[in-house]
Amino acid sequence: MSAGYIDELHDAFHSDLVYRSEDIPLDCTPKPKEMEQTLHGVMKLNGLVIRSLEEIAGRGANAVTYRAGKKFGHEVAKYFQKREDVEGALHELSDLLRGQYSFEVWKPEDKETFIIEENGETFIYLVFHDCIVRQTLRRNGLDQGGPLCQTLFGYVVGAIEEITGRKAKLEIVHTGPNACLKKLVLK
Amino acid sequence: MDIRVDKDACVGCGLCVKDCPMHVYELQNKVSVPVRPNNCMGCLSCHEICPAQALEHRGVYPARRHYIDIKVCEMLRKVI
Repeated sequence: MSAGYIDELHDAFHSDLVYRSEDIPLDCTPKPKEMEQTLHGVMKLNGLVIRSLEEIAGRGANAVTYRAGKKFGHEVAKYFQKREDVEGALHELSDLLRGQYSFEVWKPEDKETFIIEENGETFIYLVFHDCIVRQTLRRNGLDQGGPLCQTLFGYVVGAIEEITGRKAKLEIVHTGPNACLKKLVLK
Repeated sequence: MDIRVDKDACVGCGLCVKDCPMHVYELQNKVSVPVRPNNCMGCLSCHEICPAQALEHRGVYPARRHYIDIKVCEMLRKVI
């Protein structure tokens, strides 16, 4: 390695900035527009962690990631307003997930209401449109519905449980490149 | 949702019929027909599975794409 290259590196990481401990940065650096490479790096890393977890832990990987997501959901939602109605809870949830996921409440045309009661269970269909998990999986060539999807499941379930105080379960009905259909089962 | 099938392109393989969980499509005279377009949630897995690329959806919300390969796209831009 040449001395010139080392000097160049030192120059690149040197500034005349005076930094005090009370200086709190108010903006991200660099600007979000310049963060594309970082985002790709994070997505790639996430994909590799999940792939390795699946290789070593097998089916147990789903349980680990679900648990992690659920804890995250409980943790984030505890600062939100407690609601008893599911509709209000979903509204809170969409605020909570903004920027990472976007979803809408959905129903097939033969159903009259969004809250469906069938075979003794009460559920709501949710269509997830924007999803950072789906993007990560497709970026890495991984199948949808695996352990990384379980983090989202856990997250939604944890948040709904925290907001409504009711037990919930999320099931995959269908996954696609543009949207995924999930079933939120309320207990 | 407005779904159109290119009848000349459709090979009648029935993959979209099998794949759609909401039974949007039906095979009629060896051509896929969207019989329940209002049941479509816009997942577009039928687009991915169709070997003839015979489908067209209008009014669908396109999910954000972050997974394009930046380097490959840069190279493609140079070529195109």
